[in-house]
Parts: sequence; structure tokens; C-alpha cells
Amino acid sequence: MSGPMRTESGEETIPFTFDGTTYQARPGDTLAAALLANGVGLVARSFKYHRPRGIMTAGIEEPNALVTVGTGGRAEPNTRATDVFVYPGMVAQSQNRWPSLSFDVASIFGLAAPALGAGFYYKTFFGPAKHWMLYEGFIRRAAGLGNAPTEPDPDNFSQRAGFCDVLVVGTGPAGLKAALDAAEAGKRVMLVEQDAVPGGSLLRDPDPALDPATMVKRIKALGGEVLLRTTASGYWDHNFLTLTQRLAEPGEVPAHGFAQRLWHVRAGRVVLATGLIERPVPFANNDHPGVMLSQAVRSYVRRWGVLPGKRVVIATNNDDAYLTAAALVEAGAEVVALLDARASGPAAPAGVTVYHDARPYSVAGRKHALRKVTAVIGGSEQSFDADLIAVSGGFVPVSHLHMQAGGKLTWDEAAQAFIPGETPQVCETIGSALSPPAAPAVAPAGKAKKSFVDFQNDVSLADIDLAWQEGYRSVEHLKRYTTLGMATDQGKTSNMVALSRLAEKQGVTVPQAGLTTFRPPFTPVTMGLLAGAGARNAGAHVRRIPLHALHKAHEPIWQPLGYWFRPRAYPVNGEGLAEAALREARTVRTVAGLSDVSTLGKFEVSGPDAAALLELVCATTVGKLAVGRGRYTFMLREDGMVFDDGTVWRLAENRYLLTSSTGGADRMAGHLSYVRNSLRPDLQCSVVNVQEHYAGIALAGPRARAILAALTGAEPPRHMGYAPGTLAGAPVLVLAASYSGERAFEIHVEATHAAAVWHAIETATRAEGGAPYGLEAMELLRIEKGHVVVGGEVDGRSTPHDLGLAGMLSKAGGFIGAAGLTRPALSALNRNNLVGLISLDGPIPEGGMLIKRAGTSPQGHVTAAARRILEGGAIALALLEGGHKRHGEELTVTSPTRGEKARVRVTSPHFYDPAGERYRD
Amino acid sequence: MILPGNVIVTEATSIIALPAAPLHVLEIWSNPQAVATRVHKALGFALPAMNHSAGNATISLMRFEPTVWLAEGDASVLADTLGDDGALTAIGGGIVRFRIAGPGWRELLLEGGVFDTSAAAFPVGATAATVIDHVGVRLHVESKDACVAYVPSSYAQSLHHFWDEALPLIGA
Repeated sequence: MSGPMRTESGEETIPFTFDGTTYQARPGDTLAAALLANGVGLVARSFKYHRPRGIMTAGIEEPNALVTVGTGGRAEPNTRATDVFVYPGMVAQSQNRWPSLSFDVASIFGLAAPALGAGFYYKTFFGPAKHWMLYEGFIRRAAGLGNAPTEPDPDNFSQRAGFCDVLVVGTGPAGLKAALDAAEAGKRVMLVEQDAVPGGSLLRDPDPALDPATMVKRIKALGGEVLLRTTASGYWDHNFLTLTQRLAEPGEVPAHGFAQRLWHVRAGRVVLATGLIERPVPFANNDHPGVMLSQAVRSYVRRWGVLPGKRVVIATNNDDAYLTAAALVEAGAEVVALLDARASGPAAPAGVTVYHDARPYSVAGRKHALRKVTAVIGGSEQSFDADLIAVSGGFVPVSHLHMQAGGKLTWDEAAQAFIPGETPQVCETIGSALSPPAAPAVAPAGKAKKSFVDFQNDVSLADIDLAWQEGYRSVEHLKRYTTLGMATDQGKTSNMVALSRLAEKQGVTVPQAGLTTFRPPFTPVTMGLLAGAGARNAGAHVRRIPLHALHKAHEPIWQPLGYWFRPRAYPVNGEGLAEAALREARTVRTVAGLSDVSTLGKFEVSGPDAAALLELVCATTVGKLAVGRGRYTFMLREDGMVFDDGTVWRLAENRYLLTSSTGGADRMAGHLSYVRNSLRPDLQCSVVNVQEHYAGIALAGPRARAILAALTGAEPPRHMGYAPGTLAGAPVLVLAASYSGERAFEIHVEATHAAAVWHAIETATRAEGGAPYGLEAMELLRIEKGHVVVGGEVDGRSTPHDLGLAGMLSKAGGFIGAAGLTRPALSALNRNNLVGLISLDGPIPEGGMLIKRAGTSPQGHVTAAARRILEGGAIALALLEGGHKRHGEELTVTSPTRGEKARVRVTSPHFYDPAGERYRD
Repeated sequence: MILPGNVIVTEATSIIALPAAPLHVLEIWSNPQAVATRVHKALGFALPAMNHSAGNATISLMRFEPTVWLAEGDASVLADTLGDDGALTAIGGGIVRFRIAGPGWRELLLEGGVFDTSAAAFPVGATAATVIDHVGVRLHVESKDACVAYVPSSYAQSLHHFWDEALPLIGA
């Protein structure tokens, strides 16, 4: 380019920077328009060869002008300069260059282009493996385009549901008319447009009879919703579409903290007025700055008042480019030649020389600007001095959404394009996408090696030829071998050109050559948008236990547990986690401790058939429980594997409470619903999830019984007994169950009364010398006792027999998983069995492998490791091949990844009070 | 402005946590017609149909599942009518009620939502069991200007924050 290019004077009022240089833009300018207006021709470097690239298009199909916009965590790499509107203070940076855009050292890759052609990456795997070790570092460093920000994204992302009778995509003339018709017919209408202003092609080729602003105003007045800066990015089943709405431009500080919104729209009918994308023309150096699509040139001239070149060559195979010639002439540019590949065409504007049977052969120039266009005209070469070539190789209907909807395409020979055809969904395509202008096939001129097809991935005609030569016949193989169409633009400007070349090589028609699959999203979607408002919390809300604030006052170490946060330990006097946990566990062993167990899964099962349902779900006997009694239980999948455990309590004649693990609570809720509603809908019972209705407090230790008796004024139930009671004025359920190995109780209370109950228990416990304990101490206690935990020993691959629970199975059978347990393989002697390990030297590495000696295969693994609470010494639980029969054997636990090992002796998993005497009074 | 049902509506959309209230799950597993007749006689109104509500001064019933209603208020009379045909189970300790009131409540519920909150699809008296930003909630339209959301208490603080953050998006 040669200097500023505004066609009309105006006020450039918006400052922005590009690669550190400050420029001015006009309101409504895209970054591309503003750069062109400021005479900036070199905008980017290509992915593989680092070739200089400029601005090629005026829309979302832009393959070249990819920049990073914004700073810090708000920086958005690979933003199309044609799809971002300049705002005050915008900071844009070119990418994939070093040390500067003008002088990019990596452009030397261009010299190595012969060695870096299609499939070079796969060829690096040829030869000795050590060669790959050499290539890998270079390839990894060169791979990728743009840099993801390392700082957290400070912005929020919205996800919103939308519903309408008619969803219209595109605000060109057809889309506007369809939306207005539907609105006037009383339909609930949504109209979406990815541009910042409505109009589509009308912005380039105005029609005095159609005023987009007036039509939009009318649609809104009729109750329609018009969403600008919104792209229909995905079309799914049942007329469900996802829309990506920009609430702020890339890198811009959003007004309300939300940068983007993902719409989930259910539409009764979908109207696709998505228009056309112009096809580039392959010739040598057709990726050079100054090579632009014809309609894009017309857009810059008419919409933004920007003249991308002053001496222009136009190359076309259709009539549309003649309109560009007229626009350029009107704007004061000199159209030095109009190269028409056809034998004839329409009348050209006055002063424009038309050459028929003329095709561009090559262009040349400096990095920033074009200087010369060489054409083949009637078989002879002829050159023109020009700073811009506007090309049009025909048009491609935008059929991505139609295809995502499961639609078919039909081939339009005259336009050399696929047209949307039938679709299985309530969807139709209208407007120019159904009738692209005639544009005959034209054989490319110029050297294939420098004639680029996929500009983003630097795929040339020669690469397609090479893939063919090397035997890649299927279009799907061609795509993967050459990476054609696999960049962020998904081949919007390249696919049809490549298909034509492939068809030519195969000697078939383009439809016979086939198509690749159209997949969402239509344009790139940020990860933050997919995560939504929870992007900063791993996509989910934090779940707070009822006593969250109370625990917080103790300044515990918190433990994320699923979505929950639970106290892991309550350090005092500067303790670390290990010291605090050991102190807490010792307090439980010697006095008493209390812990928050509110997150346990809890289900009330009521009705005459409650026991029948529980005997189906639980693998242990339930029906014989007396009122006021409970028992440990576990649940199996249909294949016989244990998937959860808990306790079941008979609260009244026809009312039971079932508890299950915290982590498995949601899964258990689903399982119970499945059993109740699908397997046995005939049962007369009700299953209600009361996990959050009750807060749970565990009180454990030798003094637990006395503490509870004093608080409730009643003798607590014996082990595995239940009794209702009153504590701190609140009704409570007292369940005498122990996870710690000590005499212990779970006190469940309606969550709204939990603080008072906790406070009373804590005060009484501390008065006895006890203290609260957290998850870490609970883990020490249960490992020493040999209790299994879901996710550790219960890993989805263990049977009751593996875990030493077979003796508790219901003899009557009939429970879910009973049939699965009869499979012979589950009785194999070499299955992994639960065992205990006692260290013969140092700490046992958790997760370590169990081996007989160095160099032998692992025979099991450590599921949980701890130390003895009072006696000292390292212990662990493990799953070991044939472990039940191997007590006394000495093995090695090794963790190569951590460089740790220990000699261990296999024992029973019950290290503490194996007879269970401490449970009993 | 005071609307029927004593809902106080301000010009802006607001989210207010309501005091804890007795909430029960009512499930009927047998003789539904007979139970319906007994309930109608005891409460003075019929069991509401799916996705609808009904109530009197002491209790409201909201139907969210084919055989399940949420009972809000004094359920003692209801308990006496069930016999062996159904059960009441208390769940109020695990639910926080939010009243979302004002001109933008319907639009606010579209944030992170999955269902149509328009007046035509979700009229006064309607109920819905749905998810808001992945959290399971029950909704009850108590007037044209207000809706009550029944949110699991563990998510209440997070969801309240979620709605507060979203309010500016709806111009409230």
C-alpha cells in the first residue's frame, strides 16, 4: 500500500495501536479497515513459512490477518482483523514473527519450503527414532499460531437460553425480509447477525428500496429480538442452535463484566440467509499483501470509505467483479486492467480495459505492498504496475449450518458450487446462498508451489498435487495429510479451490471427489464462553456445607471434595497439615472429636415397600432390621462390582434412612431414581433425597457416649442403634455408627438448626479435652481401622469378596448385582484383594506399585497410606493379587515417578481393634 | 407497589432470600383418585396438575413430577389424608427460597437456564423443575412480577451471586 487511503474526509477519533504504533480509526471501523486506511499493508506472518500476509477479505472468512487483540488475561490471539471493531485504546499485535513483523527471522523457513511440503511432519517419523528426538524440539517450537495468555481471564461469560418461533440467521436482504415477514405474521422472531450493523451485502451494495435500520426497527417493534455481533456457531438436533454473542470486542473491558454470551436457542423454524463467500484465485504469490477478494475491496470502498489500492488489477471469472471495478472508479482509483477468464462479459465502467481469456499468473512486490501483476492473456504474459489486485474466483454458499443440521448439498455446475438442498430439520436456506452467480471453472496459471489454496496452513496447489502423487485419493485423507481446511478458518476460502484441484487430478467432477464434514463451530469460540459463568471455578459452583461460616471462623485447611469444600484440618499454634491431623486423630483415639459429615448422601425411603426397594439396592439384608436399628451396607452395579457403601437405618415401621458416600451421592440419587421409577415402579414407596435437609455431625471417641448423654439427657443408642432425641433444643436423629473405630455417633439435624447443635457438641467436647477433626484425621482413623472408601479401595473393579465384604452379602440374593457376582471370573484366585501393609522401613508411598523384587511386574497398588496414630509406624491399604492368601508375605512398594520405595509386610487390613470391642460399651 | 399475594415489587429486579419455611415432598404411590378426593376435601382445593400449583392461606402444593408435589407450609392436615397411599418427607432444611421480583425476573431466569420463561409458556401459577447454571432448582410463578426459586442450600450463596452478577446484563 502507499499511504493513507480514505476516500472521503472525516474524523478519525479512535486511537488504537498496532505493534506499538498509534493510529486513528473512525467509529465503525474494523481493525482491518482502520489498518488499510492508515496504509498498513503487512499485518501478519503465515503459519508455516512465515510469509508476509495482508488483509484479504472483509469478513469472518479472513485467513491471513490474524492478530492478538488486548493485553494480559484479556488478550485474544488469532483474532481476525476483519472481525474486530476498533475501540478506544485497542492494543493489537501481530503474531508468529520475531523479532518484528517486517523482519522475521523465521521467514527463512520459506527457503526450506521444498522440504516442508505436504506431510513433512509424518515423514519425520521415517528412519531411526533418535532422529525424531532431534526434530521434535524444532517442530514443537514452530507449532501453534499466537500465544494463549498466561494470566487468568478477568472477564465473565454468560450463557442464556433463547426460544423463538423463527430464527433467522443473517441480515442481508433475504434475512431481513424473512424476519420481517415472520414478525408481521405474529411469530416470535430472533434475527442474528455476526456484524455490528445489519445489512449484510446491502452494506456493500446498497438497495434504495431496502433500509436495514428501518427494517430492524420494525422487527423490534413487533416484538422480535435482533442480536448483532452474534454468530450462529452450531446447529444441533431438534432445531437447537448455539449462538455466540460478543458483548464486548476482543480485548475490550466489558461494560458489565461479561465479555461474551453463549445462547442456547430452541427454534420452531430456522431460516438461513447466510449468503456467499467469495473464492480466491490460485496464482503464484497469491498470498501477498495487496491481493484481496473483489467483494472485500468493494466493501472497504463503499462501507468504510477506504481505498485499499490506487492502481488496481481485477481478476475474475464472473460478472460480480465488474461492480468492484465501478466502485473503485467512483472512488477515484485507477483500474489498470480487468482480467476476465471468460471469452466475454458485461460492459465495464468507462476507462476500464477488459482483457478476456485472461488469468493472473503471479504478483510481485515488497513485503508491505504490491508492485506488479503478471497475467496470461490469450496465451501471452503481460505485466501491470499495480498496488492491488482484486480477485474473484466465484462464490461458495455458506452452507455450514445447513450441513450441521444434517442437510444435503446439490451441485450447481454453472456456479461451480454446492447449493443447500434438503434438510431433515425444520430449516430452509434462502437468498443468495441458493443462487450464486455463474462462475465457470478456470485452470490456474502460475507456479503451483507458490499458488496458495489454504492460506492459514500454507497449503499450495503443489501440496495437493504431492498428496495425490503419494496416493492420497480420498478427500478426507487429503485434508489430513496436507492440513487443508484444518486451521481456525476451517477452510472457508480454501475448500472449494482444493476440491476442484483434487477433482481435476482424479479426472472426476467435484461432487464425485466428495466433501469433508462440516462441524461446529462455524467460527472459533473461546473456551471461557463454553465454561460460562463458572469459568473461574472449573465450570461449577462451589457447594457450601451448612456450617461453612462456622468452620471458616476456625480457619481450617480446606479440602475441595467434588464441588464441596470441607475442613481438612483445624491447625492450632502454627501446626502444619500433618501435625494437625495427627493431633486431631489422637484426640479421637484418646478423648473425643467432632467432625462435619453433612455431605454424606442421605435418602429417606418410606412406604409399605420401602424394605423391598432397599433390599434391591443394598447387597446386605435390610428387611430384618428392627425399628431403631441400622447396619453397614454396600451397593453393587449390575456387574457385581461395589460402587458405593453406607448405612441403612429403620427409623419407623415403614421409614428408613439410607446413607451413602459424599462423592457418590449424586450417582446414588440417580441410581435410586432408576430403581424406583424404571425397575420397580410398582413398589409402594417414596425415595427422597434428604442430603441437604440434614446436617450431620460425627462425635467419636472414648468420651463420645458420655458427652452425648449429657447433651441429650438420654442414654445414647448402642452401636448400630438409632434414637430420636433433642439437642440444643433441636430435634435430632442419633445414629450410633463408627467410621473411626471408636464408639461414635452421627447426629443428624435439620440443617437450619445445625449451628446450635454443633456449638453445643463442640463446647462439651472441648470441655472433655476433645476437639474438632477434619478429613485428614478421618482418613488416618479409617485407614487404621481398615474401612474402605469409595474412590480408593472401592474403585469400580472390586467385588464384595475382593474387599472382604462377602460375608455380609444377603443370603437370599435378589439384590442388584447378585447375578453378576456369579460370573466365574469373579471367583478367580488372582483377583486384587484388599490387604493391609505394614512398613518394614520408611513411609509407604501412596499409589505405589507392589512388586516382589525389582524388575518384576506389579502385583497390586497402594490405595491409601498413613501412619499408626498412637503407636507410630507406617501402614497402608492396598489391592493385591490374591491378597487374602498372602498375609505375612514381604513385598516392595515402589513409586518410580516419585523415586520412593519401601519394604512392607502384607497383613489384614484391620490394624486397629479388629474385634470391634471399642465400639461397644 | 403491592401485588396480590403480598409480593412487594420494586422498579428494579431484585433477588431476596426468604425465611426458612416448612417444605415437604408429597409422593402418592397408590389410589391417586381417592387421595385426590381426600386432599381436596381436607384442603379445599384440588391437587394441582403437572407444572401447576394450588394453595390456600396455610399451604401451597406445586407439582413437579407425575407423582410428586412440593408442599410449602403447614402440612399436618395433608399428612392425615394420605394413609398408606403416600408419604410426606421433610426437605425444608436443605432448601433456600429466593424471591426474584421485578420487571426482569423472566429474563434473569434465562441466564444459565434451559427453559422458556416467557409469560405465555410460564404463566402465573406455573411451576418448573429445571436447572439454572447446572444447579437443580424448582420455580413457582407467584405473580406476574415475581417468581420463587427453591434452591439447594449448598448452592444458594453461589447462585445468588450468579444472579447478582447477571442483573446488569438484563438492564435491571
